[in-house]
Amino acid sequence: MVKFLKPGKAVILLQGRFAGRKAVIVRVFEEGTRDRPYGHCLVAGLAKYPKKVIRKDSAKKTAKKSRVKCFLKLVNFTHLMPTRYTLDVDLKEVASGPDALATRDKKVAACKTAKERLEERFKTGKNRWFFTKLRF
Amino acid sequence: MAPTKKTKKSTDNINNKLQLVMKSGKYTLGYKTVLKTLRNSKGKLIILANNCPPLRKSEIEYYAMLGKISVHHFHGNNVDLGTACGKYYRVCCLSIIDPGDSDIINTTPAQ
Repeated sequence: MVKFLKPGKAVILLQGRFAGRKAVIVRVFEEGTRDRPYGHCLVAGLAKYPKKVIRKDSAKKTAKKSRVKCFLKLVNFTHLMPTRYTLDVDLKEVASGPDALATRDKKVAACKTAKERLEERFKTGKNRWFFTKLRF
Repeated sequence: MAPTKKTKKSTDNINNKLQLVMKSGKYTLGYKTVLKTLRNSKGKLIILANNCPPLRKSEIEYYAMLGKISVHHFHGNNVDLGTACGKYYRVCCLSIIDPGDSDIINTTPAQ
């Protein structure tokens, strides 16, 4: 009786190009919109996970290995697998308006801010589950 | 009778309660709609047949754990569950949205 598909929930995408990738729900459109008359949400996920960083890596190597490639996508709820994990990353600017993904350059700009937030979260070492690849 | 059944009386109780829900309450039958009701937290009780595929069973149980919705494992397979619902088809999982006059929600919290 508790709604669990809320912003901040970590989910795994089940379909599409990014199937098997972990993402975090940024914004939920419970009743859908006119273009998408079904429940869906905006997720920000990891297209490329950061590589494993070991202690003997130099600073330059660590920086290179900690890079992530991010994606933003509007996904139907049926194509997500929710998990018990949450990721409380401040992605409010990403979910700025309903047209955050309208034009290509807005999408690219939003992706860049999402990438920064996710990278700094990875560097703190928290939410380690989110940044490890799901093996299947 | 399989030894896992508690007593004959309590299984009959479930069937009777289900009958009452079918008559007076709201419910959905089938995996896809059960997941839908779990996602939007409309479901109050989920009932799974005992021959539900284990992956599907764990998936529904996981969703129910996230949404704090109770799951009941029916003592019977999907054919029996369909009959208990008064339908002429097999039902593997069903979700009770509104129990109507029945008290199935209060008296079956067993996981």
